[in-house]
Amino acid sequence: MAGLSEGQTPVLEIDGTLNSNDGNSRGNKGKDKAVVLVGEENSNSNIDTQNQQGGSGGGSEREMPSMHRSGSRPQLDLSKAAIQGNFEVKDPTILLPNQSDDISHLALDIGGSLIKLVYFSRHEDQSIDDKRKKTIKERLGISNGNRRSYPILGGRLHFVKFETTKISECLDFIHSKQLHRGGVDSCHWNPGVQANDNAVIKATGGGAYKFADLFKERLGVSLDKEDEMDCLVAGANFLLKAIRHEAFTHMEGQKEFVQIDTNDLFPYLLVNIGSGVSMIKVDGDGKFERVSGTNVGGGTYWGLGRLLTKCKSFDELLELSQRGDNGTIDMLVGDIYGGMDYSKIGLSASTIASSFGKTISDKKELADYRPEDISLSLLRMISYNIGQISYLNALRFGLKRIFFGGFFIRGHAYTMDTISFAVQFWSKGEAQAMFLRHEGFLGALGAFMSYEKHGLDDLMVHQLVERFPMGAPYTGGRIHGPPLGDLNEKASEARVCLLLLEMPLPLNLFQISWMEKFVLKGTEITAPVPMAPSGTTGLGGFEVPLSKGSTLRSDASALNVGVLHLVPTLEVFPLLADPKMYEPNTIDLADRSELEYWFTVLSEHLPDLVDKAVASEGGTDDAKRRGDAFARAFSAHLARLMEEPAAYGKLGLANLLELREECLREFQFLDAYRSIKQRENEASLAVLPDLLVELDSMSEVDDFDAFKERMLGSGDNKPRPHKRALLFVDNSGADVVLGMLPLARELLRRGTEVVLVANSLPALNDITAMELPDIVAEAAKHCDILRRAAEAGGLLVDAMINTLDGSKENSPSVPLMVVENGCGSPCIDLRQVSSELAAAAKNADLIILEGMGRALHTNFNARFKCEALKLAMVKNQRLAEKLIKGNIYDCVCRYEPAR
Amino acid sequence: MDVKKPASQENLNGDESESQISHLALDIGGSLIKVVYFLRSNGSGGSVDDSGKKSDPVLEGRLHFAKFETSKINDCLEFIRSKNLHLAGGGAYKFADLIKEKLGVVLDKEDEMDCLVTGANFLLKAVHQEAFTYVDGQKEFVQIDQNDLYPYLLVNIGSGVSMIKVDGDGKFERISGTSVGGGTFWGLGRLLTNCKSFDELLELSHQGNNRVIDMLVGDIYGGSEYSKIGLTSTNIASSFGKAISDNKELKDYKPEDVARSLLRMISNNIGQISYLNALRFGLKRIFFAGFFIRGHAYTMDTISVAVSFWSKGDAKAMFLRHEGFLGALGAFVSYENHGLGGLKTHQSVQQFAVSKTYAGKKICCLVNEDLNDNESIDFGVAFAA
Repeated sequence: MAGLSEGQTPVLEIDGTLNSNDGNSRGNKGKDKAVVLVGEENSNSNIDTQNQQGGSGGGSEREMPSMHRSGSRPQLDLSKAAIQGNFEVKDPTILLPNQSDDISHLALDIGGSLIKLVYFSRHEDQSIDDKRKKTIKERLGISNGNRRSYPILGGRLHFVKFETTKISECLDFIHSKQLHRGGVDSCHWNPGVQANDNAVIKATGGGAYKFADLFKERLGVSLDKEDEMDCLVAGANFLLKAIRHEAFTHMEGQKEFVQIDTNDLFPYLLVNIGSGVSMIKVDGDGKFERVSGTNVGGGTYWGLGRLLTKCKSFDELLELSQRGDNGTIDMLVGDIYGGMDYSKIGLSASTIASSFGKTISDKKELADYRPEDISLSLLRMISYNIGQISYLNALRFGLKRIFFGGFFIRGHAYTMDTISFAVQFWSKGEAQAMFLRHEGFLGALGAFMSYEKHGLDDLMVHQLVERFPMGAPYTGGRIHGPPLGDLNEKASEARVCLLLLEMPLPLNLFQISWMEKFVLKGTEITAPVPMAPSGTTGLGGFEVPLSKGSTLRSDASALNVGVLHLVPTLEVFPLLADPKMYEPNTIDLADRSELEYWFTVLSEHLPDLVDKAVASEGGTDDAKRRGDAFARAFSAHLARLMEEPAAYGKLGLANLLELREECLREFQFLDAYRSIKQRENEASLAVLPDLLVELDSMSEVDDFDAFKERMLGSGDNKPRPHKRALLFVDNSGADVVLGMLPLARELLRRGTEVVLVANSLPALNDITAMELPDIVAEAAKHCDILRRAAEAGGLLVDAMINTLDGSKENSPSVPLMVVENGCGSPCIDLRQVSSELAAAAKNADLIILEGMGRALHTNFNARFKCEALKLAMVKNQRLAEKLIKGNIYDCVCRYEPAR
Repeated sequence: MDVKKPASQENLNGDESESQISHLALDIGGSLIKVVYFLRSNGSGGSVDDSGKKSDPVLEGRLHFAKFETSKINDCLEFIRSKNLHLAGGGAYKFADLIKEKLGVVLDKEDEMDCLVTGANFLLKAVHQEAFTYVDGQKEFVQIDQNDLYPYLLVNIGSGVSMIKVDGDGKFERISGTSVGGGTFWGLGRLLTNCKSFDELLELSHQGNNRVIDMLVGDIYGGSEYSKIGLTSTNIASSFGKAISDNKELKDYKPEDVARSLLRMISNNIGQISYLNALRFGLKRIFFAGFFIRGHAYTMDTISVAVSFWSKGDAKAMFLRHEGFLGALGAFVSYENHGLGGLKTHQSVQQFAVSKTYAGKKICCLVNEDLNDNESIDFGVAFAA
């Protein structure tokens, strides 16, 4: 592995996510986890190539500020992993063949007009497997500071684009990020890489041939040319299978996401609209045929548009069309028939009879027509034409779905509408045009896939989480200085920065000093910020919402491509009764009034949240500035979502709440409620002993029994204890300490194994899986039941409970365990949970969801294979009325028998 | 059967007395007005063709075709002095008031599609060697068995394009169309080249080289062919696609090249959509007609290439010699069908003949000249009773 510094032994370390118990935890803390893109995630294992940092060598490395990100090339690990299929081997002598090559995780699609980049970046330090092995001491107090590791494995796929004419900028970009060498960090990590001339980048598109020499010359890398069609199809298949709600329809400005049954995906027609248009019939993975195409495509639009309007960029041209009226240019049916419809042939007066037909009879010259009108006319002509030819081809081959991709679409509402209209018009309503959110990146994505054909193919939808970097774009633009600044001006990359720099408002907004400071001190930053100072700034995310509605509209949707987070450990919660029908959100924000209400709630709560967040970071000036930036960024996102709810994909309340957490994280507020949680936990723990005494003194233990009797029916006087209960915990403090722990205790007493399920990442004041063992340990000091169970569950490995050694001979207890749920939201989407939760769920026969976020906002209507209990206090009047026709502070207790 | 030469320009323009025009039909389209009228040759001696030969006494008359730009409808109205009009085309509605005012006649509006189809059926059945293919600059006439004529696809390329599935006399359906038609060619062409007329634009395209403006497959793939998907390096990947990457402005491009690109784009597109529709409905033949074609070699060539390309050689584009006059002819025939004329169409159809001297190229030239001069004489079809 070329990315490793010399003198260290390259190893392939393979450890299990759930139960890796090697004593290496401290070492793991600073280690760089390679992303794991393993298809066979059911094994609960992932393969992790890392630099086995022996002794001080590794230590010193970790101290280097920008070194916390690994340069190892995950795709290599992946491919190997899949080939081997052996997750238990841990053999230091194994050298993956590919590892010695300097293959970066970058893929290109160099088209006639645009260059598309897909590159992969690693997540921050990961230490999913060591948290329960850490000593309690380590986890208490300050240990959860800046160097906290987050237990979500994986990496990110970034999407960036450049104009082909500005290929130099693209080369600069790649160079500045060292993408061709596996990212900045790997370059630092091992300067020897620089000398490697064998670097190869996967590339597709015509330019892969044309510019091969240029890449060699400028970057010293060879382009490994992948077949364009192969890539397109691989990219589309991947997206359609792996990303939920990737496809959508777009009619009359309304975007509707379509969930496609992956078993019923083929055959479909893929229409890729680049400079020209290719129409591909796809019958399966790698099975496809280019059946048609047209030379009237995006290049025609832009080319003719440039000639006719003198626009400087494709986007400018699109922008113009927003304000156009094609009626001044096109000859409409009404123009020919004197305003009457020609209904006999099914044409209305406003149907275009002849595109540009009006410029015939007028005496006007080009200069006399508005560029806006021309642009719109052109757009309609080309969109309509493509829609028609596509439909005819779909019909010809009996294909039920037509997906339109490529850069011509660009999420441009009008383009999609025209194409949709054409398809609907010509099919007389029988066919619908569908679009892909990652349109334009199909080829690049496919090329990227070709690195790891054996790994990513099997990636499942639940393993991908799409995130929209909330603040990252700003950093990205700033940090990289000249190359990127230049790029931004020229509107080439990701449109994120373009908007930022072109639009005065957001620019000012984010010219905040902390950013500059951040830039200046980029290399000094040691905190594992969500976006790295250099490697993974989240470029390719989306732009800042603007107050200018019309300009936003077209651009907004163009940026609907978030960064794809590959989280290979995520699985579908196995106890869902019907995963296909499962919809986490209880509240559908498609309802405008709901949307407005919740936006208001979030907006109102924002100042308070900012205060807390700033306080959590010590209230420093820096924290205040970040808090300010966070507030503005989040408000901006809210504003954008108000305008275009589907901007980031399907929007539910859970998504909204998660967005907020993401935004906080982006601005480096890793845990806004940290001190509050700590305080509340301490206070509650202090009360716990008294509570337990009180509970134990009750004859019938507590209401829980009565409740249980009532809910389970009294036919059987002594209900069989559950085998294992999953308790989804919620808030820190009294909620968990005085609520869930006693509940857990009762279950344990009955011989039910208890698995406490907590968040992987902080969200509001929710307790996290990392904090929970401490709480349990603390509580166990006061309760023998908890202590024995916790010991049995491996929560007390360090014999913290030193005073109770003697009692260990007591009868073995059922275990009390803690697992993380894989998410960092106050809600939970059970389609994407951690593999350890999925594993823990396999023997569970009772699910208890506690708290508003997980029991009401989401999952209120979810059905499970086993018994489920949903407990929450409704802390919102509107919700209370809507869900239970009750009032605020009513308690909800919903019991559902097994299905 | 007698073969006659055409009526000369002078014949129709000035020398013919109005009384000789017994029947006239108009097709008023978005861009052009097409006129079909019948001249009786009643032995007056007035109708002498330019070769000086006397009209054959057996002739009862000639069918004449003329056209005007719609924007110059007044010229057309000036030209028309007839009392009986049958009109087709959308303009028949739009200009009804104008015509009534100017000529004092009421337009008897015939359905446009009816007229088109009637005209095409009439031509395909009545006129020998009406249909031809155009491959590599070679025109080849096709004799169509009348019993095997239907169903066919009639693609009428006017300002827009109508695609009509024809199953028999009066049996047809407009199944498709496209707004990218002759109007687009001319409209965009005017904006891009400042040409003053459609014909000037067509003329320009003759001299152009579309590779300057179109992005070819070879431009993308660095000259190598992309044979896997059946494309060669000279295939157009993106019409006008090169205008993107260049820093040139409109004025930096030769109008000839622009016109050529435009023509290829539109012809290719029409050919493709037509073929797909023919395929969809299982139609064996595609006839292209309308003013966009105009017997223009390059237009026909690109459409033929498109159909051949997309059908992988299975289908051939066919053209009608009297393209452009289908609507007017249909209106005229419908007039006959009403029993208002002296022509016994049904009996005489089989005996119609057309001079072989009217090859496409010559027609084309005539047309061009005529239009440029805003004259309107084309040629005549001799009727033999």
